[in-house]
Amino acid sequence: MDCYTANWNPLGDSAFYRKYELYSMDWDLKEELRDCLVAAAPYGGPIALLRNPWRKEKAASVRPVLEIYSASGMPLASLLWKSGPVVSLGWSAEEELLCVQEDGVVLVYGLHGDFRRHFSMGNEVLQNRVLDARIFHTEFGSGVAILTGAHRFTLSANVGDLKLRRMPEVPGLQSAPSCWTTLCQDRVAHILLAVGPDLYLLDHAACSSVTPPGLAPGVSSFLQMAVSFTYRHLALFTDTGYIWMGTASLKEKLCEFNCNIRAPPKQMVWCSRPRSKERAVVVAWERRLMVVGDAPESIQFVLDEDSYLVPELDGVRIFSRSTHEFLHEVPVASEEIFKIASMAPGALLLEAQKEYEKESQKADEYLREIQELGQLTQAVQQCIEAAGHEHRPDMQKSLLRAASFGKCFLDRFPPDSFVRMCQDLRVLNAVRDYHIGIPLTYSHRYKQLTIQVLLDRLVLRRLYPLAIQICEYLRLPEVQGVSRILAHWACYKVQQKDVSDEDVARAINQKLGDTPGVSYSDIAARAYGCGRTELAIKLLEYEPRSGEQVPLLLKMKRSKLALSKAIESGDTDLVFTVLLHLKNELNRGDFFMTLRNQPMALSLYRQFCKYQELETLKDLYNQDDNHQELGSFHIRASYAAEERIEGRVAALQTAADAFYKAKNEFAAKATEDQMRLLRLQRRLEDELGGRFLDLSLHDTVTTLILGGHNKRAEQLARDFRIPDKRLWWLKLTALADLEDWEELEKFSKSKKSPIGYLPFVEICMKQHNKYEAKKYTSRVGPEQKVKALLLVGDVAQAADVAIEHRNEAELSLVLSHCTGATDGATADKIQRARAQAQKK
Amino acid sequence: MAFPHRPDAPELPDFSMLKRLARDQLIYLLEQLPGKKDLFIEADLMSPLDRIANVSILKQHEVDKLYKVESKPAVSSSEQLCFLVRPRIKNMRYIANLVNADKLAGRTRKYKVIFSPQKFYACEMVLEEEGIYGDVSCDEWAFSLLPLDVDLLSMELPEFFRDYFLEGDQRWINTVAQALHLLSTLYGPFPNCYGIGRCAKMSYELWRKLEDEEDGETKGRRPEIGHIFLLDRDMDFVTALCSQVVYEGLVDDTFRIKCGSVDFGPEVTSSDKSLKVLLNAEDKVFNEIRNEHFSNVFGFLSQKARNLQAQYDRRRGMDIKQMKNFVSQELKGLKQEHRLLSLHIGACESIMKKKTKQDFQELIKTEHALLEGFNIRESTSYIEEHIDRQVSPIESLRLMCLLSITENGLIPKDYRSLKTQYLQSYGPEHLLTFSNLRRAGLLTEQAPGDTLTAVESKVSKLVTDKAAGKITDAFSSLAKRSNFRAISKKLNLIPRVDGEYDLKVPRDMAYVFSGAYVPLSCRIIEQVLERRSWQGLDEVVRLLNCSELAFTDMTKEDKASSESLRLILVVFLGGCTFSEISALRFLGREKGYRFIFLTTAVTNSARLMEAMSEVKA
Repeated sequence: MDCYTANWNPLGDSAFYRKYELYSMDWDLKEELRDCLVAAAPYGGPIALLRNPWRKEKAASVRPVLEIYSASGMPLASLLWKSGPVVSLGWSAEEELLCVQEDGVVLVYGLHGDFRRHFSMGNEVLQNRVLDARIFHTEFGSGVAILTGAHRFTLSANVGDLKLRRMPEVPGLQSAPSCWTTLCQDRVAHILLAVGPDLYLLDHAACSSVTPPGLAPGVSSFLQMAVSFTYRHLALFTDTGYIWMGTASLKEKLCEFNCNIRAPPKQMVWCSRPRSKERAVVVAWERRLMVVGDAPESIQFVLDEDSYLVPELDGVRIFSRSTHEFLHEVPVASEEIFKIASMAPGALLLEAQKEYEKESQKADEYLREIQELGQLTQAVQQCIEAAGHEHRPDMQKSLLRAASFGKCFLDRFPPDSFVRMCQDLRVLNAVRDYHIGIPLTYSHRYKQLTIQVLLDRLVLRRLYPLAIQICEYLRLPEVQGVSRILAHWACYKVQQKDVSDEDVARAINQKLGDTPGVSYSDIAARAYGCGRTELAIKLLEYEPRSGEQVPLLLKMKRSKLALSKAIESGDTDLVFTVLLHLKNELNRGDFFMTLRNQPMALSLYRQFCKYQELETLKDLYNQDDNHQELGSFHIRASYAAEERIEGRVAALQTAADAFYKAKNEFAAKATEDQMRLLRLQRRLEDELGGRFLDLSLHDTVTTLILGGHNKRAEQLARDFRIPDKRLWWLKLTALADLEDWEELEKFSKSKKSPIGYLPFVEICMKQHNKYEAKKYTSRVGPEQKVKALLLVGDVAQAADVAIEHRNEAELSLVLSHCTGATDGATADKIQRARAQAQKK
Repeated sequence: MAFPHRPDAPELPDFSMLKRLARDQLIYLLEQLPGKKDLFIEADLMSPLDRIANVSILKQHEVDKLYKVESKPAVSSSEQLCFLVRPRIKNMRYIANLVNADKLAGRTRKYKVIFSPQKFYACEMVLEEEGIYGDVSCDEWAFSLLPLDVDLLSMELPEFFRDYFLEGDQRWINTVAQALHLLSTLYGPFPNCYGIGRCAKMSYELWRKLEDEEDGETKGRRPEIGHIFLLDRDMDFVTALCSQVVYEGLVDDTFRIKCGSVDFGPEVTSSDKSLKVLLNAEDKVFNEIRNEHFSNVFGFLSQKARNLQAQYDRRRGMDIKQMKNFVSQELKGLKQEHRLLSLHIGACESIMKKKTKQDFQELIKTEHALLEGFNIRESTSYIEEHIDRQVSPIESLRLMCLLSITENGLIPKDYRSLKTQYLQSYGPEHLLTFSNLRRAGLLTEQAPGDTLTAVESKVSKLVTDKAAGKITDAFSSLAKRSNFRAISKKLNLIPRVDGEYDLKVPRDMAYVFSGAYVPLSCRIIEQVLERRSWQGLDEVVRLLNCSELAFTDMTKEDKASSESLRLILVVFLGGCTFSEISALRFLGREKGYRFIFLTTAVTNSARLMEAMSEVKA
């Protein structure tokens, strides 16, 4: 451990920089990196190489080849480039590879070389060709900035939501700028460019000339510029070998440095971290790497190989053909513990633990020292934190061991930070493994990225088992964790064209089962997207919510299946949606046929038609040969839709025909009668005046009698074969209403009444004519006599009749009518009769 | 009288929460349209709305003027119009006309449509077809349960009956399922579920699906209501078709109770004004007589009047201090009681007057004869006379249906002649009414092969019961038969009377029909609750044509308290009558249960018949 700080290089008085190896690269590159277009994604992302990008020949052997590797050099994809010449490569925040072609078309590829989509940067770019392009990241996503052959800039701040912006012209710009970069300030993307000794800032409205404060004189051209990861800082490299470092707003200078190398550097990037003690810029030439900051001396490294720098949030990754290294400022906790002769509590604790393992009593001395200063808590925290910054598991372990040792001597040290660090490191070490190749650092990248995004990245690399293990290890809720990953897995699975539909469906169902939060319809949608309709239908079978099945089935043009699923779901709205779909999709005949087999859908559609499309309703019945309903339909039309009498009769005729077809003779006859009645009523109105139309037969006759047209009334009754009983009731009521007592009496004597004579008594009484009523009581039959007598109020006689009949029920009826004093005698009489009857 | 509950009867859950929920939701929706606005309300929603939020609450939330949605267009000058409607196509056209008229006049306003209880896609379709979908914003007011009384929840959806049982339209089933879901989220899961009928089964299944999708929420809760029973109205049309003779039912039949309140006309109030009276458990007088047979009510009221007088009389002989106490504490209550008493006495008088005019006794006698199945010819002639005399189209229709259902359809001769008579009396458009009634199975013709019953019984003697069951199923799929007579025998619906049935001290649920008939629906519920399943009722289920539509679902009861297990929610799909409610209240008192009623609407025979009638527009 003595040489632990051997790779620490001081920069200025306070900060150390160190460089260590992440991986020895596994790739077997034939070319030098300088012969390729290179793009590496931040956050330990993949590396893309385009070999032979500049060859114009068509020969297959020298065609450009696009290769994608993990950060550890594991090949992920390789494909022959068949499109136009590529100017620039870059990775989006979602780890999609953007390839900017000379004609302004941007092709988007997935991590595995799968083509996703393409878009164009506009006509102007197409005409003037692309001279240079940059992919940049903002908080909204990833943007593309393009410098065209006409020396104009076009950019889009978010390729996910493509909005092209053409930047204003730079006045007097004749040749390409010597260097340029995108800045991002106040959520707006700008472009900073250098032309000769001048700097210009382009925003969407204007072009303004800017001057960095405190810039050394004598600059005739800027050779290179670099913006920090967070867009906060800017570095400029001039042709005098002078480096200016300041804020990106160009309002403040941080420092400057003269390296005395006039050759233009290959790359220049910022190397800093949040809360950096000493920010630095890393400048790379062919064989030399220099770290400069606010210090008179720079740190220099020799590069054995052609190398490439990737700026990260907390350092710089440097990869070459053989190695992949990480250069960063040593974090505070590590510095405190490992700095030579450090007396920081963490350092002492680490020592103490080591001595303890050696079973030396020095352990106690060290511990006492810390405890005397009351810094044990701090020591433990330091060790935990430093463990996070270590790349090598053995170092992580020894620091954690020290922390754990120190914890034993503390009463109340909350365990979560320790536990969480152990968990996090375990996850980090797992993804740093070179098979996986995601070299994330703990402090910022991992925390910044969040575990959700990390899981997404694993899913993107199809590392489903590892992702699931992590979820289970961190005990993430199923819906966010395992189910989501399984769903992704299933979506990938359906793309395997060589496996049969049955096998895929079964495999998916076996794995997913009824895991909560998994939507089979989403997976099915993906399967359909891959052109596997049958598989999609099979997968939908597993979807428990039929409502979810329907939209996809419709999309797949399986409307009939969709209809039965919708009906199964019991959701009428869903059924209706499908119906309207079907209506547009099928011809009318087929549509109706489909409906015929689905009574629920049919009734739903009928309800709709009844209000919105009456004609369709008729067609529907016609199609079904449903003559009964068709008849009803026309009947309704005869009084709802038609106004004129001829129209109404015609509608009724159609209805009658339909009823005959439906073998409903009764309805047909009734309808024909109604036609006759209508015509007749019309004639009556014409001849007699008054209102007859729409009266029922009964009311028509009544109206005639009330109007004194007895002859006509009788004629009508004969024509329509009104039964005698009805006619008697009708006449009786009408005559009583007219109070034509004479006619009534005549009528009563015309022949024997088919309804008896009690009704005569009743009706007269209803008109309060006791006198007339009494006339009929004698003619009432014996069974109803008592009732009739009671009606006219002749209690005494009623009692006599009842006693004569010896009918118990009648007796009690009469008794119940006896009121108080007046009928006292009658009541007594009945009681006596009753007693007598009982004796017998 | 007014039997008290057993001391161990469980407490009812507090349903006023439903009202608060609905009110808050409505206010939220109104606030979505800030500023002054005119509110257009569908007529059918006015009374329910009134029970939830009165005009002053609406005014508080910047409702300016109120309009009724009706056929003639309203003239509103407001810049914002809000429509509160049922999801009906008719309403959509009304709104479309209004919006399109504005467009023609070059006027732009804000329109918002609030659908209650839910929005249907078909409605949105109509808005789209009328070209105004983009002009209006749509919302849902999920107000599906109105507590009319402490034990009565109504969905206030009278159209449910016609839509489902006549048109076969199933869209309200979702609403029912949502309502049940709401109840189970508020009052805990239901450990025991029973049901019978197609609609009951579908609603139940849909409800279960909703619960499964949203599981976890109700799982941990203690059930407050131990049983739920879902019943389709078409299981028992007979009960709904009978004349009601318990007080509340009679008031409904005579004056029509609307949304828990009734308009008593001048003949009742004995003044020149009509009076709107809320009828529920809070009306002390009403609460004591609502479930009583009408013949007892008058006696009770006069006794009550005497008591009241006695209480008034107490003030004689009081000293000043006592008098002061009396005035400040008792007088108000007495006066209130006095007022209610005189109202109900007035109502009784009015009912008596109406009923004697219509030969009520004859009518009841005929009904009882139909229920018991004797003197069918005599009853048929009575009905014929009823039609000939044009007593009342709805009443005539009701009697015809009652005859048809109890007799498994009319014999062809009667079917024709009665229909002919009816058309002659009440107009030819009723041809459609008859077609509706036939479709709903309310008025049918005995099929020529309807000696089936005879064949059937012979067959069942020859082969096993199971095979006979199958044969009957096959037949019943041809013509759905009511089998009332057989069911009635099986379930003992016509009590054997030895001597007079004492209506003052009822023996069984038959008292709601003067002791002549135990309501079928209530008997089914009683039997199933007794058995805790359909076991042993196979024959009845088969006769109801529901072999596959009767279900039981029990979950473990470890969490349910014994108190909750005596609370039973009965869901009537298609409506229930006050007689049924009274009968079950009676059953509850006998057995120590409490019943809670959830109905799509409170119904009676007239409402059922009107739903089936075609009337000229």
